[in-house]
Amino acid sequence: MRDALSGLAVPRGFRDILPTEARELHAIERTLLGAFADYGYVPLEPPAVEFASGAITVDERRMVRFLDRDGRLLALRPDVTTAVARVVAQRYRSADAPLRLSYFTAVFREEASMRGSEREYDQAGVELVGAAGPLADSEVIALLADALVRCGLVSAEIDVGHAGYLRGFTEELPAEARDAFAAAARDGDLVRAVSLARGAGLAAKRVTALELGFRHRGPDVAAARADAPKGSLRALDELDALGPLFEAAGIGAAVRFDLGFVPALPYYSGVVFQVTAPGLGFPVAAGGRYDGLLGRFGADRPATGFAINVPHLHQAVLDAGWSPAGDTALLLLEPSADAIATVRVATALRRAGIAVCIGPIAERAGREVRAGRVVDEGHVAYEGETRSLEALVTLLGGSLGGSTA
Amino acid sequence: MTALRVALAQGALMPDTRAALAAAGLPTDVLENGDRRLLVPAGADTTYVLSRPGDVPTYVAHGAADVGIVGKDVLLESDADVLELVDLGYGTCTFVVAAPQDSIDRSLDEYRHLGSLEVATKYPRVAAAHFQRRGIQVEIIKLGGSIELAPQVGLSDWIVDLVSTGRTLRENRLAVVEEIAVCTARLIANRVSYARDRERIAALASRLAAWAAAR
Repeated sequence: MRDALSGLAVPRGFRDILPTEARELHAIERTLLGAFADYGYVPLEPPAVEFASGAITVDERRMVRFLDRDGRLLALRPDVTTAVARVVAQRYRSADAPLRLSYFTAVFREEASMRGSEREYDQAGVELVGAAGPLADSEVIALLADALVRCGLVSAEIDVGHAGYLRGFTEELPAEARDAFAAAARDGDLVRAVSLARGAGLAAKRVTALELGFRHRGPDVAAARADAPKGSLRALDELDALGPLFEAAGIGAAVRFDLGFVPALPYYSGVVFQVTAPGLGFPVAAGGRYDGLLGRFGADRPATGFAINVPHLHQAVLDAGWSPAGDTALLLLEPSADAIATVRVATALRRAGIAVCIGPIAERAGREVRAGRVVDEGHVAYEGETRSLEALVTLLGGSLGGSTA
Repeated sequence: MTALRVALAQGALMPDTRAALAAAGLPTDVLENGDRRLLVPAGADTTYVLSRPGDVPTYVAHGAADVGIVGKDVLLESDADVLELVDLGYGTCTFVVAAPQDSIDRSLDEYRHLGSLEVATKYPRVAAAHFQRRGIQVEIIKLGGSIELAPQVGLSDWIVDLVSTGRTLRENRLAVVEEIAVCTARLIANRVSYARDRERIAALASRLAAWAAAR
């Protein structure tokens, strides 16, 4: 016999998002997409499945994979970068002007069991394709900062680093030591990275500079220049050029130049960044420049972008005491015995721009609710008094005859 | 400024860890006595999170602790995403492949014949990764402890275990076939904590590195 409830269970790592949270997530979605649109980004809707061999940012073992009837190995959408690369290569290969794409969509990742991790979560982000240089780099970072503030995340810090800083050291190592050094740094094993560099014969003053770099975080990068390799100095120049642009964009106070921030993904080529919030052990958002990656798909164009982890953003703004704004109060209308009068009252009020629900509700999902009772088709009892519809509409801030005619 | 949460492994590393932290200027007297609390405030700037060694990387990876001190052996067996900042130099132990002294040749014959060896271990990730790098096909048998017993009773051909002196291996007539990795204690940090609290964590890392270098 099958347990009646087990038929209703969801697979590990998936869940129902209940009304209160769903309402909050919708408010975040509206806010983010509004911010992206205000900077000229247009939405892209990627397909729900991709070929498992095609994903760019996710290791094949971390995809939620399955076979289709053709015997092809597919994966639930593991990232959006794959779709962006395809769209750019197929549709905008010869576009001269930069392409600005945005998205808000669920992505799927396979996680080992018992790690408290979800296999489906929302990701929001933008990709700026075909633009290089400090203006483009500062644009996406300023957009990210603005979008997060609009969502109510006011205490975020933006760490800005540069993939070229570490590459400068890598280039001074013998060829056979480079991959292991870069991989150790990406894995966060700074002990091994430094010891590999030393063992591969990196000059002592460079090792000191590298150790200093891993610890450097501040309003500028001046202190990291001493004894840095030539390639690293070029990266520091690029970061220097960003400082005044962040000030001009009004986000200077939130930005820290962080040379110890090394993204886990190998394809970043230039300015990289992550956003952190107090009390949250995982970054809220991350991104950076990935020139050269799109070239692998036939459209060799510079590109930068970011992805916001929406559950982390949601948790961070809730921790900061946020609740979704923007919804009007809902008028809960107790029906009279005359069903026709009740429907007329509800219809007239809705046309006047007031949110109305007839009868009691089991779940208001955090929305503000007012109570009224239908008296007849021209009157509603509200806050102890019988009022005409005109008086009620004025009281609730709508306007009669304002719409739908 | 909130207190820095420092995750420490209760067990063999603790005496050296206490000395290292004291040398780095952190209050350690709260770690001395027979306190049974697991969350131990130590002044306004530090809170100790005391856990089993294997759990330290998990606390740090999730940001439940900002930094931690734990053996590299534990980090190798865990897949937690943390930053490793300083090699503290103490708690040295070595992951080894070991086999019965008198049957190494026989087990290699068997490998050629059957194409696979059985390996008992408490550290399946370390063992699997090692043999995969070597291109040797093995069946991993996970045990909870006393791994040296397994080859003596025919449960496995080889073992992968953590040894500090090698005495237990010798007393159980096992010989080291190969060293996998030498492990020492590490200062680790949560990636977000290392960003937001860089000044404090980098200063702690520098003092601990200086202490380790002077030993």
